[in-house]
Amino acid sequence: MLAYALATGIVFGLYFALVGIGMNLVFGVMRIVNLAHGDFIMLGAFSAFWLLAVLHLPPPAAIVLGFVAFFLAGLPVYYALVPRLARAREPEMLSLILFFGLSQTIEALAAMLFGNSERSIPGRLLGRGPVHLLGQTMPRAWVYAAAVSLAMLGLVWLYLHRTRLGRQTRAIMAARQEAVAIGIDIHRISAIAFGIGAGLAAVAGVFAPFMLGSFTPALGIPLDLTSFAVIVIGALGNPLGTVLGGVIFGVTLMLMRAYLSSFADLLPDLVLILVLLVRPAGLLGRQVRRA
Amino acid sequence: MAEGLLELRGVAKRFGGFQALAGVDLAVAAGEIVGLIGPNGSGKTTLINIASGVLAADAGDIRLAGRSLLHLPAHRRAALGLNRTFQVPRPFPTLTVRQNLEVAVPGAAAGRDPAALLDAVELAPFAGRRAGELTSVQQKLLDLARALATGPRVLLVDELATGLTPAELARVATRLRALAAEGLGLIVVEHLMAFIDRITDRVVVMNAGQVLFRGTLREAAKDRQVVDVFLGAPEPAA
Amino acid sequence: MWRDLGLVVLPLLAVLAVLPAVYDNGALLLNFVVFLVLAQGLNLTYGFSGYLPFGYVGFFGAGAYGFAMSVTLAGAPPLLGVLAGGGASLLVGLLLTPLLRLQGAYFGLASLAAAEALLHLIGNPNLQPVTGGPYGVKLQAGYAPLLTYALALAILALTMLLVAWLRHARFGLRLLAARDDALAAAMAGIDIVRGRLVIWLASALAAGLIGAVFAWRTATFFPDAVFDLNFSIFAIVFTLFGGAGTLAGPVFGVLLLYGLYNAIGLSAPQYFQLAYGVLIMLLALFFPEGLAGIARRIADG
Repeated sequence: MLAYALATGIVFGLYFALVGIGMNLVFGVMRIVNLAHGDFIMLGAFSAFWLLAVLHLPPPAAIVLGFVAFFLAGLPVYYALVPRLARAREPEMLSLILFFGLSQTIEALAAMLFGNSERSIPGRLLGRGPVHLLGQTMPRAWVYAAAVSLAMLGLVWLYLHRTRLGRQTRAIMAARQEAVAIGIDIHRISAIAFGIGAGLAAVAGVFAPFMLGSFTPALGIPLDLTSFAVIVIGALGNPLGTVLGGVIFGVTLMLMRAYLSSFADLLPDLVLILVLLVRPAGLLGRQVRRA
Repeated sequence: MAEGLLELRGVAKRFGGFQALAGVDLAVAAGEIVGLIGPNGSGKTTLINIASGVLAADAGDIRLAGRSLLHLPAHRRAALGLNRTFQVPRPFPTLTVRQNLEVAVPGAAAGRDPAALLDAVELAPFAGRRAGELTSVQQKLLDLARALATGPRVLLVDELATGLTPAELARVATRLRALAAEGLGLIVVEHLMAFIDRITDRVVVMNAGQVLFRGTLREAAKDRQVVDVFLGAPEPAA
Repeated sequence: MWRDLGLVVLPLLAVLAVLPAVYDNGALLLNFVVFLVLAQGLNLTYGFSGYLPFGYVGFFGAGAYGFAMSVTLAGAPPLLGVLAGGGASLLVGLLLTPLLRLQGAYFGLASLAAAEALLHLIGNPNLQPVTGGPYGVKLQAGYAPLLTYALALAILALTMLLVAWLRHARFGLRLLAARDDALAAAMAGIDIVRGRLVIWLASALAAGLIGAVFAWRTATFFPDAVFDLNFSIFAIVFTLFGGAGTLAGPVFGVLLLYGLYNAIGLSAPQYFQLAYGVLIMLLALFFPEGLAGIARRIADG
């Protein structure tokens, strides 16, 4: 049971890293906690439902389509909301409120369009038969999700470290003022980062039905808390810390399910609170407390 | 050195790999004005931040009238009579100018009357305005008035003179000298040497987190090391 | 202060006190008072100390369960149960005080997580003998519509008095100063930690007491019902809409928005969620100070 919990914990951990990384990228670049992130994932899950279960597209096509569509949709959302915030007196608080409003709006629209009933997608759409991995047997969909998550995390790393735009993105994350001073177009880079964040949420959403079971429009807020917990464990503003956070979160969740299953629901909340209080900068991070 | 009202002993602070302060001693007596000068990055503001409780010291002690403040939070230090102004002024922007002074908690030595303070820094006409609407010079003066409203025994003044007109400078200098005459101890961080010259009794010159020189400004101006630090070391003769 | 009492608190309480005589939907009237208390309670902490607790509903739920458990397990009389509800929310507030060390977004999300954790704990099947678990609570505290309504009005009066007092007392001004700039406030000699703690506990107490009264009146409820995130959302929207830190703002917020909510009907909650979501965004983008900010702009010309 322990080995199974550890193996599935790592598999789920990689997926949770994918769930959190978009929120972390946006936070790192814009210093905004995007509370609509969970709703982007929820919309990704509905897209997967239509693309996979209704239109019967192959999964890779659904992933690419989801990423591109959400990336493109993310750009105007950025330009409509964020630049105006930067001029406000309390940008951090207002952004929290603003994206909370966006989250509520998306959830309501989803409920009106898709209804509130629970939906699910059969796991066989990602391939039949169990898979043997890390000495354990687990559903093929889980391994599929973990592999795609790993690939996406790798692509994020490549983007940040091997492309011109990515290097400018990291410059903004490290020192915003200096980045402006050397002529980096903050809004362009931030808009792209926001789009990538939305695209990554879409990919996470495609796998949400397989990893989280059924889904409804109300999935957004719980996913926000999970994402926030994952990235806080790793380090806010450090996208690669998210991988560490995801795996720790995944393994802990699976251990809880194995040994303390009735309290497993409490986990994301408690982890979030404890990490914030004990090590608020995350395992790899910087200062977040008040002076 | 005479027994100080405020005494900093062996204060050290490191930011990551950067030694901002490497064991600094500094004291000010009641009624005395000490000028704290040195190039940018020499640790002057860090020292003020540590004394006032904004930053924690890695080592050393801070004593006010013999009592250690080291483990007290900033508001307790203010209550005991140690206060400061900020290099970039920090008024409460949504409060009115008058309210900015009214919120100050009078410390052990009784606080000063807000109305009189507003008069003293010539902000009385703006008493009903939101402090965020003031010019930055006015905000600096408000900062000073707010620090005085807590009734400090020692005041740390961080670059007050920058941006002031000569007339304003003269009035602020008179004001600070009057405060010293009332028994207040002042440590004044300043780049403007004319201002330092006008108000201080002695200066402490810092460089790279250490005290380089103690004495009068005139002596400092003749000190080879001090001159090197301020003007850059001269080129070796060819 | 007297102007605040005469123009806002007394007229509101007077109207609310006579309404049951002319309007027979007592449950709806109670809900209005519940939201008035929640909006003003949230106003205490957000308006005066800048902390926006998305998990504010946690105090409401704690109050409801404090009432339910003291009545069912300890056989307490309902009036004592209301105090127990307030006590429960105070206890939760005390437990959560370490959260006050966190900055804006961290605090908001941590408080939300705390409320969710409390819901999962109380609704846990293992705790069924104590809390009723997921099957909720059935109370026999006695149906007392007038008494519960009067109690709710009393809690509202106390909460609004506190807000009115803070708006004029030096303590409130010092909280606002700390909200503007915590470091400068410390240098002004203000004990920020104590001030924030006091306001946080007062805010928790208001929600807990009204949660207890709500539980008494409702008698039968599931954990989801009293930990419904919508209580937080409504309180936030009403407060922001009216203007945080003001006394009349949240009142207008509740009367206008909750009134509209009920006038149009409850058949399709997502329409209101949509309207509120859009409203929150518009407020954040264009009117961060709410109706009060608009009024001030007009007054200033």
